Amino acid sequence: MYLAELLAGALAIGCVYSLVALGFAMIMRATSIIHFAQGELLMLGSMSGLSTLWLLPKLPAVAVLICGMVASGILAVAMEFLVYRPLRLRRVALMNVITATVGMSILCINAARLLWGSEPLRYPELFSTSAYRIAGVPVSPQLVWIMAFGVVLMGLLQLFLKRTRTGLVMQAVAQDAEVAQLMGANLTRMMLYTFAIAGMMAGAAGVMFGSLFFSFFEMGFLLGIKGFVAATLGGLGSLAGAMLGGILFGLIETFSAVYVSSAYKDAIGMVLLIAILLFLPSGLVGLWKARG
Amino acid sequence: MESARLKRSLTGIVLLALAALPLFEPHQFVLHMLSLVAISATAALGLQLLLGFSGQLSIGQAAFYGIGAYASGLLSAKLGMPFIVAFFAAGVIAAVVSLVMVPITRLTGAALAVATLGFSILVYLVLKNEEWLTGGSFGLMGIPRASLFGYVLAKPAYAYLLCVAVAAAVYLSLLRLQRSRFGRAINAIRQNEDAARACGVKVTLLKSQCFVIAAFVAGLAGSLYAHQVRYLAPTDFTFWKSVEILIMVVIGGMGSLFGAVLGAAVVVLVPEVLREVGDYRMLIFGAILMVVMLFGEGGIAGFLEQCLRPFSKPRA
Amino acid sequence: MPEALLEAAGLSRRFGGLAAVDAVDLRVERGAIHGLIGPNGAGKTTLLNLIAGALAVTRGTVSFRGADITRWDAARRAQAGIRRTFQNLKLFAEMSALENASIGLHAGTHAGIFAALARTPAQRAEEERIFARARRALEFVGLGGDAGVAAGKLPYGHRRLLEIARAFVAEPALILLDEPAAGLNQTEAANLSRLIGRIRDAGCTVVLVEHHMDVVMSVCDQVTVLNYGRKLAEGRPAEIQRDAQVIEAYLGRGDAPPSKHALA
Ligand SMILES: Nc1ncnc2c1ncn2[C@@H]1O[C@H](COP(=O)(O)OP(=O)(O)OP(=O)(O)O)[C@@H](O)[C@H]1O
Ligand SMILES: [Mg+2]
Repeated sequence: MYLAELLAGALAIGCVYSLVALGFAMIMRATSIIHFAQGELLMLGSMSGLSTLWLLPKLPAVAVLICGMVASGILAVAMEFLVYRPLRLRRVALMNVITATVGMSILCINAARLLWGSEPLRYPELFSTSAYRIAGVPVSPQLVWIMAFGVVLMGLLQLFLKRTRTGLVMQAVAQDAEVAQLMGANLTRMMLYTFAIAGMMAGAAGVMFGSLFFSFFEMGFLLGIKGFVAATLGGLGSLAGAMLGGILFGLIETFSAVYVSSAYKDAIGMVLLIAILLFLPSGLVGLWKARG
Repeated sequence: MESARLKRSLTGIVLLALAALPLFEPHQFVLHMLSLVAISATAALGLQLLLGFSGQLSIGQAAFYGIGAYASGLLSAKLGMPFIVAFFAAGVIAAVVSLVMVPITRLTGAALAVATLGFSILVYLVLKNEEWLTGGSFGLMGIPRASLFGYVLAKPAYAYLLCVAVAAAVYLSLLRLQRSRFGRAINAIRQNEDAARACGVKVTLLKSQCFVIAAFVAGLAGSLYAHQVRYLAPTDFTFWKSVEILIMVVIGGMGSLFGAVLGAAVVVLVPEVLREVGDYRMLIFGAILMVVMLFGEGGIAGFLEQCLRPFSKPRA
Repeated sequence: MPEALLEAAGLSRRFGGLAAVDAVDLRVERGAIHGLIGPNGAGKTTLLNLIAGALAVTRGTVSFRGADITRWDAARRAQAGIRRTFQNLKLFAEMSALENASIGLHAGTHAGIFAALARTPAQRAEEERIFARARRALEFVGLGGDAGVAAGKLPYGHRRLLEIARAFVAEPALILLDEPAAGLNQTEAANLSRLIGRIRDAGCTVVLVEHHMDVVMSVCDQVTVLNYGRKLAEGRPAEIQRDAQVIEAYLGRGDAPPSKHALA
């Protein structure tokens, strides 16, 4: 009973991490940037979703999710277009671009505090409160829906990347930008798409996390770190790895909080992270590939 | 060669000015802030060696800074050790802990960054949860002021001079390292690892030596911080602290020791100066940070050097 | 029979399914200039990497001065006296030419962190020796005037020479040159041939990978031909020039011989 609820919770939060990690991985693959403002995109998506709910309280959950995604997507594109791209065009060192993403993150956090205040904000109930029964086991609808949204979004992203022309071109650019450009890919546009998608994933994660817990101007900080760690667990720069890493990190965190120590729940993830970096340099996905 | 002499005289003038500053009896708060600049500069100098010289990106320096601070605070508050012993012990303990982490210097780029980040989160959790040792979230109180040869440095001016002296000593030491066989070799590693190896440079060894030195220096800075502020809380040593130290190095100019000091001054003082604009100050700071990144790898130091160039004789 | 400085036996290196170097035996005599030629992709650079320790061998052994060095890493081999240049130039772009050359002396010198901090007399004397030798090496290759210039700012031909200076500065027992004449014009190539001769006269044994046949034929004592990772032929330059198999390897692939005077 209890275990099922715990598992559902772990998978739901894992989906949130996966979505953040996906954004990290996409941006890292395309630009080598560690995007420190990824967590802030999540926070801004969460806040935007909440604000639309304040305006239109009857909005269905899917619409709120889409609002959060659109808002973060637009913001991510603005970041790329107004800041990162000009930096790259000036050919500054990668370290400078990465530091600029830290500046972006500081800017977003403080803007959000001015706009939404510094108190944690609760989401209204987005889902029915009476428990679903799945094979006789009661599970909170919220968790079920979040998992469903997460899985659908990741599925759609995979379809987009594998089945559409634009998606394939984006993959090619991530593999080798120079060759892709020779073949006629428009790098500028592909970068914008990459950031748009990374932003949308983060925005969706923000709405999901907000509806599970709350929205808070500093929420992006820790969630961003966890997403980054999840992306690394799976294998830096691999999309499948990012998804896997997110789910895994959710599981580790939830179960070690219960069975090991809630004070050290993050520690286990970190120890595992360092071990994986040292012994499995290409992450869990690398292990898979080495076997296959 | 002329420009080297110009730089040397500038360094001398700046050091003299800093040492003479207390004669003008500035406000206590000014001295306190400048002490904090010197402390941050020390930590940033350590990271400059690691990142700017040897090319290793660490976003976990706050871990060693925190270890040094707590080590020094505990040794002097709980065991009553004299400051000077606690100070060096802080550096040594941070360095010894960093030895445990030395295997991660095999990693490069983003992987090294996440590994150091993960380590600093571990250290933060220990500082926060081991209440019996660190006081947990309540923090560690009752740390005595720094003292030298039995004299307590009670006046802010003396504490300030101590911090400046340590920062200057670290600065000059790293300057010597930079211009030595060791400094050239780590510089070579940063620019091309394969070529360095082909010249017989033991890449892994030198990289881990940089890692340990940076941790040692961060530990010293942490000790100064502990005795300056005299109250430590785990929240002083989160990931943000690491990022702050990183920002100092990048904003000041990668590879430039003087830049690391400038960067520390900017990161510590600018938010203070911006206090006028109240709620907008960190907003503006974030924007400034992004704009400075446009200067490129040279950062503020590189920018200043360009401004000074007309005054130094071009090389014949 | 003259003594062998370097011996490779059954040396192989695979990349996935591709045998880039396949069971190659190689014997380089002390004091020789040993040419290594072959069409593009024949495995010359890979063989050099195996000798220098930049790549791990899949099978086979390398021995140097009679010691088995197969398991040694690149730095240890460099220290023991095997130095190399890189086909696609790997200089320390931000450092001056002089500093680039000084890195070549890293292995033979000793001052460590503490000596540097204390500026001991021994350390300062060593620094002076390092820079004096680095300067001599630059002059030796003809870069005396470029000592203060950042390597990244040197013209292309000078960068090639700086690679050689960095490898030669420690006067290693064995120096591996990977296409030092690539991109040089005829005059520069002729100068390079003389430089390689002087390097040998200074006591270094040379392994020379080169497409530029004028250079190979004029300076090499012995030539090994690789094709598809295997050793195709070996002998004196004149014999190699007449070898039907070698001509076939260059012409049979449809690509023109590497130089128009190559195998006339
Ligand atoms: N790191 C690597 N990974 C995979 N394949 C490699 C690698 N290095 C070389 N190869 C392959 O091994 C073969 C031999 O390459 P190598 O560079 O040794 O040839 P080469 O004789 O030096 O050619 P060139 O004259 O063009 O320099 C080529 O087919 C090349 O594609
Ligand atoms: Mg080659």
